[in-house]
Amino acid sequence: MSSEDSNPAATPTPGVDTQGDGRWMSLHNHFVSNSKDKEPDVLFVGDSLVQLLYQFEVWQDLFSPLHALNFGVGGDATQHVLWRLSNGELGHISPKVVVLWVGTNNHGHTAEQICGGIMAIVQLIKDKLPKAYTLVLGVLPRGKMPNPLRERNAQVNKLVQEAVSSLPHASLLNVDPGFVHSDGSISHQDLYDYLHLTPQGYQAVCQPLHAHLKGLLEKQAEN
Amino acid sequence: MSGDEINPAAVAQAVEDVQGDDRWMSQHTRFVQECKDAEPEVLFIGDSMVQLMQQYEIWRELFSPLHALNFGIGGDTTCNVLWRLQNGELDNIRPKVRFNWASTGPEREKSTAQGNSFVPVMHFIQIRTPNQYLIGPLQVTVVWVGTNNHEHSAEQVAGGILAIAQLLTSRLPKTKVVVLGLLARGDGPNPLREKNAAVNGFLRSWLPRLGQAQFLDVGAGFVHSDGTISTRDMFDFLHLTAAGYRAIAKPLSDLLLQILDETPEEKRASLV
Repeated sequence: MSSEDSNPAATPTPGVDTQGDGRWMSLHNHFVSNSKDKEPDVLFVGDSLVQLLYQFEVWQDLFSPLHALNFGVGGDATQHVLWRLSNGELGHISPKVVVLWVGTNNHGHTAEQICGGIMAIVQLIKDKLPKAYTLVLGVLPRGKMPNPLRERNAQVNKLVQEAVSSLPHASLLNVDPGFVHSDGSISHQDLYDYLHLTPQGYQAVCQPLHAHLKGLLEKQAEN
Repeated sequence: MSGDEINPAAVAQAVEDVQGDDRWMSQHTRFVQECKDAEPEVLFIGDSMVQLMQQYEIWRELFSPLHALNFGIGGDTTCNVLWRLQNGELDNIRPKVRFNWASTGPEREKSTAQGNSFVPVMHFIQIRTPNQYLIGPLQVTVVWVGTNNHEHSAEQVAGGILAIAQLLTSRLPKTKVVVLGLLARGDGPNPLREKNAAVNGFLRSWLPRLGQAQFLDVGAGFVHSDGTISTRDMFDFLHLTAAGYRAIAKPLSDLLLQILDETPEEKRASLV
């Protein structure tokens, strides 16, 4: 795997305010200060698929009871999550499990680079939270019909699966319940814009995720 | 607007597929198709502020019952909405034919969105009792767009929104247009808040000149006295939470109900 310097997906990079209201940094600061008086057992971190999860009832039903915090930022790629976790978001908390869901926004990067970015985050979490377990969620398929991004995302998942297979503190969970139909299409009932999940889509993803998480937390408690 | 300069915010423009999965066009194509079957009375069109609303419970509670369709696409500017409206998303909106039984037999009244399609009478002859109507045509369009027009000035953005309203009133002369004001954004005071407020200012004075269009400001209460916006209302200081949508949906649905009730000709009679 190429070193950090030559992999932009694995080089911590803050979000740039191109619009004029500084929202990326505001959110980061909000997460840092928000974590000061919380003691989460689970931390969800990633892009809009994480962020939007917090807005729907499924979060209240399945993840609040597990004492989970949500540090999702829409549009984030691996290098942005890497920066956030390196710059305070892990400063005040010691979750037992970190759920990492990122990679679909790494436009212009190869599957290898994206995998490198994800693994850099896994390593960072291990460095900062030696006792935590990192659950990497597989990147979902996207687009209404087959397209290069689906292939890229599938390849990312394959590479990450191989990379974590030897690690005791991390694993990859495929949370795609079968969104791609036999004709190759994805339904807007599951992904309303062929990228983001509807509440129905989240239900299909989160039920098995929740079960898996509970199992992990029980195992962590035994250690 | 000054002179004969073209307003770039009023130039129709499709979104280019830079990511590689063609999602914008897929969504547009779906919307064009949706109109064929759905017979909406209310149409929402705009950016992610419109699109996301449909994912929350509030949509099912307040807007589905009004037979509303949602044509929001995240990231859209006024240019993108104009393109979509000019390239099929209004094409299948047709008023239903209405019959009045008179003593000399059925009189057929018809108006069309585009004024040039012929509907043969044979297709619409049904036995019905006097004064019963089919569920009516599109009665209101709700437009909410402009916050993503980063390349344009406030005056240009307002001009783009006005162009959308003008397009709608000319294509659908019997349909009212409600333009929602742009919300404040960002954690604290910033130039985009000023810009969005300026857009709203222009719209307040320009829209009433279009008889069928009106402006509705739903932004009250989001900015607290210390100048901050809470993530309880906007989870990323831009997009609304369930609570945020609840706050704006009430005045909007009140206005829509008022408009829908006002229309004397198309009553919500049950289908025979």
